[in-house]
Order: sequence, then C-alpha cells, then structure tokens
Amino acid sequence: MAEMIEQKALGAPPRRTFRIGFLAERLLLVAALGFLWWLLSLSAAPYVLPGPARVWSALGVIAGHGDLWQNLGITFWRVGLGFVFAALLGLPLGIVLGANRRLGEFFEPVLPVLNTVSSAIWAIFAIIWFGISNATTIFVVFMTAMPLIITNVWQGTRAVNADFIELARVLRMPDWKIMTKIYLPTILPYFFSGARLAFGFGWRVSLVAETIGSSSGVGYRLRQAADLVRTDQVFAWTLTLVLLMAAIEMGVLSPLERHLFRWKKEAEA
Amino acid sequence: MTADRDQDGVQPCADETAPAISLSRINKYFPGPNGERLEVLRDIDLAVPDHAIVGLLGASGAGKSTLLNIIAGIVRPDSGRVCICGAPSEELNDWCAASYMFQDERLLPWRTAQKNVEFALEADSTPKAERARRAREALRLVGLDQFEEAYPYQLSGGMRSRVALARSLVTEPKILLMDEPFSRLDAQTRGLMHRELLRIHGLKRMTVVFVTHDVEEAVLLADEVAVMSPRPGTIREVVKIDPPRPRDPIEPQVAAYIRRLRALI
Repeated sequence: MAEMIEQKALGAPPRRTFRIGFLAERLLLVAALGFLWWLLSLSAAPYVLPGPARVWSALGVIAGHGDLWQNLGITFWRVGLGFVFAALLGLPLGIVLGANRRLGEFFEPVLPVLNTVSSAIWAIFAIIWFGISNATTIFVVFMTAMPLIITNVWQGTRAVNADFIELARVLRMPDWKIMTKIYLPTILPYFFSGARLAFGFGWRVSLVAETIGSSSGVGYRLRQAADLVRTDQVFAWTLTLVLLMAAIEMGVLSPLERHLFRWKKEAEA
Repeated sequence: MTADRDQDGVQPCADETAPAISLSRINKYFPGPNGERLEVLRDIDLAVPDHAIVGLLGASGAGKSTLLNIIAGIVRPDSGRVCICGAPSEELNDWCAASYMFQDERLLPWRTAQKNVEFALEADSTPKAERARRAREALRLVGLDQFEEAYPYQLSGGMRSRVALARSLVTEPKILLMDEPFSRLDAQTRGLMHRELLRIHGLKRMTVVFVTHDVEEAVLLADEVAVMSPRPGTIREVVKIDPPRPRDPIEPQVAAYIRRLRALI
C-alpha cells in the first residue's frame, strides 16, 4: 500500500526528553543565582540579607527540630483539603453551568466578582467566622481555588465538539455515556490547567491566611521568624517552599500532564 | 415469502426478498430564513437491493445528505415511509444493522486507532474483551493492523479515513451509509480508498449507499446511481451501471456512462 510508505514516525513521539545539556543549563542557572546571592550578602548585614551559608545552617536548625516537616505537613494538608473541596465542587458546577445555557447566563456575573475579591479579604472573613483554626486556611484556599476551577471547566464545556456528539448519537449512545466519553475527555485538559493554577494560588494564599489566622504552619513560622528578625530562617522557609513547589511541578504535575495528554500534538501540548 | 412479513418484521433483514432499503413518497421540509417552508425532498421513491452499491448523485442543495440522514434515522421525514429490510424504520431497535460514515473522519483525538474503532461498540454492553478483539479485526480488514496504538494526529489522511471505515464496519452492519466519505482526500488516496471499499464489499457483501457530487466516483463504484435534481430534491433517474468492477474511466463503456450522467445532473 503506497500510502503506508509515508507513514509518520510512530516509534518515538517527539516529546522533550531528559537531555544532559538541559540539566547542565539548569545547574548553571542555579549556580549563577547562588553566586549572585552570595556576592550581594557580602555587603549587607545578616539580618537584611543573610548569605547562603547562614541560611543553610538555619535550615539545618529548623529541620533538626522536626519543625520543618511538621509545619510543611500541616500547611500541605490544609492546602490539599481546600483544593480537593474546590475541585469536588468546581468540576460538577462548571459542567452544569456550561451544559445549561440559562443557568450559565444567570450566574455568569458571579465568577468575575469572586475572582476580584482579594484573598486577604477572604482571610479576614475567615478569622471572623472560624477564628484561629485549620478551617480558616482551608476556607481561604477553597474560595481562591474554586472560581478558577469553575471558570476553566466552564470554558471546557464550550469546547465540546458538536460533531462528536452527533457521532455518538448516530451510534445510539445514551446521554450519560456521551457525558463520560465525549464531555469529560474534552473538559479534562481545561480542568487540569485550572486545577494547576488553583493549586499554585492555593499555596500562596495559604501563607497569607496562616500569617494572620493560624498558630501553626509555614505561614505562621514565617511571620514568627520575621517578628524575631531571624531573616536567615525566613530565607530557609522560603527556600524549602520553592524547592517543594518545583519538586511537585517537575515530579508530579508535568509527568502527569504529559501522560494524560499524550494524544496532543507537540505544538498544542 | 409474502409481503405481510413486514407487519411483524421488527428484526431487520429477516426477509431476504425485501430490498435492503425502500423509500416510498418521502417528503421533507426545512424552515426557511423568513419562516416559510422550504421543500427539500419531494416524493422520493427508491429501492436499494440487498448487497448493492447505490450512489446518490446530485449538485449541492439536491438534498442528498438529507435523504441519507433520513435513511439513517437521524432526520425524520415529514411524510413517507422508510423500510429497512422490509421493516418500517420507526419500529427498528437494532440500529446496528446500519452504519454511518461521515464526510470527515471524525476520530476522537484522545483515543488511539483501536479505541476509536471500539467506540462504535460502546453504545451497548458488548464485553470489553470482545470489543477489543472485534476492533483489532476491523483494523486488520482495512490494512491498519500495526497502528492500533497510534493516535489520530500520528496518522496520515488516508489512514485516518481507514480508521473511520473500520469504525463503521466493526458493528458488522448490513447497510453502510456514507456521506461523501472520501471527498476530503487527495485524488490518489481517494482512488486507493475506492479500491479498499470494493475489496471489503466483495468480502462482506454489505449494502452500500453513498452520497457524492462526483460523477466519476459514482460510476466507478455503484451498481446503480440515483440522479437527484435540486430544489426540491427529486430523483430524476436511476441509472444501472453494467460494466464489471473494477472499472477504468478510460474504458469507452465506462466513459459513456460518465458522459451520460454528466448530462443528467
């Protein structure tokens, strides 16, 4: 068959593989930034800008107490819970609002309003309603993440291809199967990017919530360290957070995304 | 076998003597832009014999696709009767008897070739293992047995068309309805797909009804060509094409048919 000859390269999908050169570039970047930091710290007081060595030993102190893992764990748990609630509510709500025109049009103005309310305002409300407790942080994460997830899922329902629905109808597929076999796969990429955004925002606002409405967690520790002018500890906490977020991004989210959306062309993915 | 078979004939193709598809006095109107009724099809009578390949040929706007959709049960006629293998189509519950192939391939981009073919079996409760086995068979039938795990974006236009063909064949349909199925392919690939279709038809003997505006395609493939005239769509003439397949448009006999049909549409 003549057309088989022009088959496209199937064996190796053109994904970005883990190149040695790529790793080297990243290491070089980290080294350069570290060097710059060290250089700047030489001409500043340690309570203004502590050097790498000082921060490293502060990190050792925090980690030694078990303080680091405990507080990271608490914050992570709160963010996770708020995020899971937001996803559990946001996914069906987004689908319903997208699938039902009338409902969608009625509720459309609510989302931009929710999105413009600052997380600090949610945090203040949360303290009034829940006091100094886990619920405060969870609520703030939830209120920040949910509108993002709803907006994205809603957009996803609009991307559903009417031709695919026609195909399913011609095959006499029942409505619930059209939902799971056409709607969900179409929405999934939108949900994923919404969830990813929401998770990142959730982390950031959780710290805000914890600095004012909590007596544990990374945010609380950050404020404590700042109050005591332990700038080296502030740096140590920040550094851990950055590393953790990078690890989640590179170790979990990116591989998951590559796997879930391997059917997309490189240019689209 | 008597004509009253179609009274209890809910099972399609139980009656071997009935034509695969028979249309009688089909009328269809669509609402026009100013609220008036546009007559799309007028008094269509057509009998498609079992195992035959029939082309619906006409200029655009002749209502060919609407007629195909009426046969498929996607569009209801305003009056008239559609019988599939002698049974009135509104009594049919086994729609697997007919399979529909769209103008585009319409493959789900998130599914592999294999899973796209299986999709046609997912409307009912066919067991997973059987779905997989039948889909592999259908892909082998269209010559794609090494491409089960390929995603649509990794396949060429002709190969995507083959996957779509496999998807419409996997249900083992008695009737295959095709809406200008190869019209988006380049001329060479299109010729290949014609040969593929005829080869598979030789194996499976399903009845084929296809819509086309291409006279040559109609003459190369069909046993009978129903020539339609536009606004309102009517069947002007049904032309039997006698020369044995495969046909070559350069053969004088085939060329004569092409000229004759060109004059008709």
